[in-house]
Amino acid sequence: MQFETNTEELREAVSIAARFAERRANLPVLASIYVSAEGSNLVLRATNLECGIEVQVPARIGEEGVAAIPAHTLLGFLSNTRGKSVSVATTGEVLKIVTERASASIKTLSADDFPILPRVSASTMFSAKASDLARLIKSVAYCASTSAIKPELQSVLLVGESGKLSAAATDSFRLAEKTVPLRSAGNVPQLLLPAKNAAEFMRILETSNGEVEVYYNENQISAQIDSLYFTSRLIDAAFPNYRQILPKTFGTEVVVLREDFTQALKSLSIFADKFSHVSFTVDPENKAVMLSSRNPDVGEQTSQIRATITGDAATMSFNGRYLADSVQAISGESVRIQSNGVGKAILITDAADSSFFYLAMPMNR
Amino acid sequence: MTTTKELWENALVELELTISPPNFNTWFKDTHIVRVEDGTVFLGVPSQFARDWLSRKFHKDILRSLRGLSENVRSVEYIISRGPKKVPEEVRPIPTAPSELPLEAVHSKTNLNPRFTLNNFVVGSFNELAHAAAQAVIRKPGIAYNPLLVYGPTGLGKTHLIQAIGNHFRINAPDRKVFYVTSEKFSMDYVSALQTNKIQAFKERYRQYDLLIMDDVQFLAGRDKIKEEFFHLFNFLHDSNKQLVFTSDQHPNVIQNLEERIKSRLSAGMIISVTPPDHQSRLAIVRTKAAAHNVVLSDDILDYLASAIEGNVRELEGALNLLLIQFEMREGPLTLTDAKAVLRSASGAAKKAISVGEVVKTIANFYGIEEASIYEKTRRKEVVRPRQVIMFLLREDFHISFPTIGDKLGGRDHTTVIHSCEKVKNSLRSDSVLSSEINQIRLMLK
Repeated sequence: MQFETNTEELREAVSIAARFAERRANLPVLASIYVSAEGSNLVLRATNLECGIEVQVPARIGEEGVAAIPAHTLLGFLSNTRGKSVSVATTGEVLKIVTERASASIKTLSADDFPILPRVSASTMFSAKASDLARLIKSVAYCASTSAIKPELQSVLLVGESGKLSAAATDSFRLAEKTVPLRSAGNVPQLLLPAKNAAEFMRILETSNGEVEVYYNENQISAQIDSLYFTSRLIDAAFPNYRQILPKTFGTEVVVLREDFTQALKSLSIFADKFSHVSFTVDPENKAVMLSSRNPDVGEQTSQIRATITGDAATMSFNGRYLADSVQAISGESVRIQSNGVGKAILITDAADSSFFYLAMPMNR
Repeated sequence: MTTTKELWENALVELELTISPPNFNTWFKDTHIVRVEDGTVFLGVPSQFARDWLSRKFHKDILRSLRGLSENVRSVEYIISRGPKKVPEEVRPIPTAPSELPLEAVHSKTNLNPRFTLNNFVVGSFNELAHAAAQAVIRKPGIAYNPLLVYGPTGLGKTHLIQAIGNHFRINAPDRKVFYVTSEKFSMDYVSALQTNKIQAFKERYRQYDLLIMDDVQFLAGRDKIKEEFFHLFNFLHDSNKQLVFTSDQHPNVIQNLEERIKSRLSAGMIISVTPPDHQSRLAIVRTKAAAHNVVLSDDILDYLASAIEGNVRELEGALNLLLIQFEMREGPLTLTDAKAVLRSASGAAKKAISVGEVVKTIANFYGIEEASIYEKTRRKEVVRPRQVIMFLLREDFHISFPTIGDKLGGRDHTTVIHSCEKVKNSLRSDSVLSSEINQIRLMLK
């Protein structure tokens, strides 16, 4: 194999692929990037067997061939080189890279052992704007559980119905749901994408401005995003039917400015105890919401935010981190907080936008 | 005909030899045969990655090894499946609500668990006094025995009894206030009231109750501020004729780091001890608990349970639950042998490894006889009984087979051993001296 290509483009492609390579895999070849030079393109592949990526880079190919190159060695070298173009050639097991000022020889692995990236047949698919899909995942993925006990809670749910694509995630303490328009017709069944893979998917989607077509079957999902091909395993489990537990009516409704709320939560986190306990008091008489946290070792703080309130006064306890998380997916000016009193879940939404909601359980005190 | 599981295991053994370990571990992990149909083996693999790779790279090897093991295998198909264990799960309606444990069972205002009532409290000679006192307190709260203190070792139903007092009181006088608290919770409340400057609210809250039940008062010992608060609370409630009920793990007079003034106050009303139940009571307890689960167990199983698990009622309940699970899982009725096997596997694991020689030595020492005489062929009375006890304990506690016991104890026949074990077992029922001796020996062997 021998080729020459643009340094910047190769570095970009390798840095994307390296995220998918697994350093401590049972199978050593998984720590490498599979590079294939064919026609007028380089194809880079990496996978951790959970999800995989394929990147195409235009190159001048002198001699076609394949190689499996240790991802972090290659990335480490490329990120510290200069020069416009880089030329690469293999002799036996050794890969020689030459740039303007430096040259390196890297020991490669047997490319024969590198797994094939699964392809999903084009029969079942949906499409949406890449930026929408990225926002969709970003709005909910942080809610997914980190514990491996229930795989369905470790994943992001995607489901499409009547022109809308929704995503939801929960770790059973809080739950977020976001909806964006679906470009394609027809419904999308429940797809459970592992949250870790969803985060990678999101990062790739963010690089694109166009529309993305997502193919899926029972076990696998894949998408072509410009010159990138992404694929991930799907989890075969049932997501809890969360719509059943959404409260239908609320006793108290509070509207606060997002800026105020975010700032208060940020500074409260300084004084929060190890459970991030924040007490949340609705005071209709003074038209204010009081938030306070205290840590016996640090001190305490109370913040008062002006609010529009309908309903009764109440004091509730929450994990401050969970409250703060909710705001990151809200972009409007004001935040609506609805509650049914002590010990019940609260619903946080963007006051002007109904496409997102966040449900958080209170803390037991 | 080998099962599909064995077939695949044998095939894996062969494949492991021809494939490098990393490859084998990565690709053959979690694979299994789903079914075999007309000579086609359907191989379940965990993901599409594995499916593509196995069918492309290892198909020939897999087919060859399967054919070598079973002639009628003609082809192999790969399907993605999570494993034979997977059970389709119902959608649970409530994923959230973790911060709210399903504690409806505990009455929030009184902190009492309604499961504990006097109706499901088994009365025996070991606790009848406590039971009678509880009834008196329920009839005449604040007057009969105030304060009532129940003490005894763990797992004998103290909490059950005092919670039952609270539950009956709540039903008899719904307008009056009952509160159940552990001394631990009381201390925590006090500390958090101190920190938040709400000590007055704390005092008022605890002074409003008509019946205050406090569990495990021995934990108050050594905490000066809390003891003082407790002392004032006690005086206030007692002076206004409110009923107080306490439990402790020992008699108040022997609790260390507890002031005289508190000791004397705790002793002012009625102090009752509960002791470990005797065989008859244990039998009655097991029977009541089994009936509460709507399960009928045969008499010999109940009898075995009552004699195998001594002392603590909680352990007895645990053993019974273990049996009940077995009972639910199997189709036919549970036999005594099954029950023994279940309990043995549960308790046997915890036993420390100890050699026969050590057991003999300990018991010989205990009875003050020569260790060597146990192994001799003598029938002197002072040797015969210890020897029988040794055989009995080796059998019951260490689960050594009858022939082995005979062999180890100087080449005796296994029927001799069986006879000895039966003899000790029978005399245990009537001979309380023997039973206490064996209990002591068991403690020494632990």
